[in-house]
Amino acid sequence: MADAQPVLSLYDEPFWAAMAEGRLELQSCASCARFRYPPAPVCPDCLSMDYAWTPVSGRGEILSWVIFHRQYFDDFPPPYNAIAVRLEEGPILVSNLMGIMPVGNWIGEPVQLTCRQHEGRRQHAFEWAGAGAEGA
Amino acid sequence: MAAQNDLSGIAAMIGVGHTDWPADHARVRAGDKPHDSYGYAAAAFNAALADAAISRQDIDGLIVGPTIANERMGELLGLDVRWGGQADAMTAVLEAVAAIRAGYCEVVALVYGNDQRSAAVKYGGPDAMGGNAFLSYVYHAPWGFTSQGALYAMMARRYLHERGMTEAELGEVAVAQRLAASRNPNALMREPITIEDYLASRFICEPLHLFDYCLINDGGVVLLVAEAEKARQISRKPVSIKGVGRFDLNKGATSLEPRLTDYYHSAQSKVADQVFEMAGLGPRDMDALQIYDSFSLHVPLALEGYGYCRPGEAGRFLTEHGISLDKGLPVNTSGGHLSETYMQGWNHQIEAVRQVRNEAGDRQVPQCRHVHYSSDVAGKAISIIYGAP
Repeated sequence: MADAQPVLSLYDEPFWAAMAEGRLELQSCASCARFRYPPAPVCPDCLSMDYAWTPVSGRGEILSWVIFHRQYFDDFPPPYNAIAVRLEEGPILVSNLMGIMPVGNWIGEPVQLTCRQHEGRRQHAFEWAGAGAEGA
Repeated sequence: MAAQNDLSGIAAMIGVGHTDWPADHARVRAGDKPHDSYGYAAAAFNAALADAAISRQDIDGLIVGPTIANERMGELLGLDVRWGGQADAMTAVLEAVAAIRAGYCEVVALVYGNDQRSAAVKYGGPDAMGGNAFLSYVYHAPWGFTSQGALYAMMARRYLHERGMTEAELGEVAVAQRLAASRNPNALMREPITIEDYLASRFICEPLHLFDYCLINDGGVVLLVAEAEKARQISRKPVSIKGVGRFDLNKGATSLEPRLTDYYHSAQSKVADQVFEMAGLGPRDMDALQIYDSFSLHVPLALEGYGYCRPGEAGRFLTEHGISLDKGLPVNTSGGHLSETYMQGWNHQIEAVRQVRNEAGDRQVPQCRHVHYSSDVAGKAISIIYGAP
């Protein structure tokens, strides 16, 4: 086994460079304003190759979630969660939910971006932002 | 768009062959390595030639599976051919039909061998297989999200929630397929299980249990496809390929958009129109259904996608209508990937052929005339309808 490593294409490097400074930035199409994720050379909607790295609100909601009970990476001992988050800006990110967990169903729960240190890198994670997240 | 109807019935499956999956699995688990991928493929090739009762000289086309090289396989089998290619099981059948239609060749050998168990191929983790073809298999690793099982678990969680399907309803897939495997001497897992066994089995990636996952084993499969007229001349028992169809969802694939918001339904609906129209048949004409089942979830997705039931009804279809040899529409009558063998769609073609030939022994579907095959691997929906000629 080994640690989990990011895919680092040419277009991923600025994403991780911003992440290292604690910012989540996505490419926003210079022609139609569509956000791209994963980072890409071209807009799948209008085929424009122009874009600007743009900060996102960090607000989103959980589309789905899983709990890993089997170990695949040295740096991820089970059990741990992974969530699919629909960002307010449109893209879906796969990330981890940190802190207080909703009881029962997580789908549709609002979440807020945070940043965490994982092994040698900073990367995005989310915290529950729904009713009950404060008091639990 | 040009009609594809002239592909119907132009080709037939004239021979199928495979390795002894349970025997090889037992040897691999004991630390032995019976063959590499090429050796398994070669053993299956000999079995397919014997099954078809044709001469190797009749073969003039070669398609190899994803895990072996075309030239080396052709060299090993002593095949110089007019046409060649490389593809997964379902694409290989579609390409063989198209090549026959184009006149590139008349008799195509579709050759697959995989030593994935003895070679310890990893489907998750740092060396996850398939990432070069499907970025979603590796892209989310920094968050610990890895393995094709996890992709289907993420999909299953939302699908069950949106459709109001219960865990026990999904569990019917594993239970029904294990019943089929219990009647199949070629199956690795023949001990029947109950819904209680399923619910009590451990989670791998929750909400999916151990029994929702395919097996991992070594083996080989060879399919022989011939032009219909040639098939009538050289084969005693051709099985006609009556319809084929394909539609690929690529948009948003890595961010899981089509998995989590469409469940591949749109692709399967389009392919349903193609394949049933080409065959001049509908879901009600199908006597059995073979579904690529790397995970149990594929089954309800296909039942809804191909119109066997409406979206939202798959849970009830599984439990009330039934998908077993004993009740309802028989699905994955060999046990499929969950219980027979994980030959990545290749074993399903064999089972379809055997059912239409009435050669399936204790698991034979009575009066089986038409068998529908479906796969939706990574949103690439592919379908084939087999039938008596």
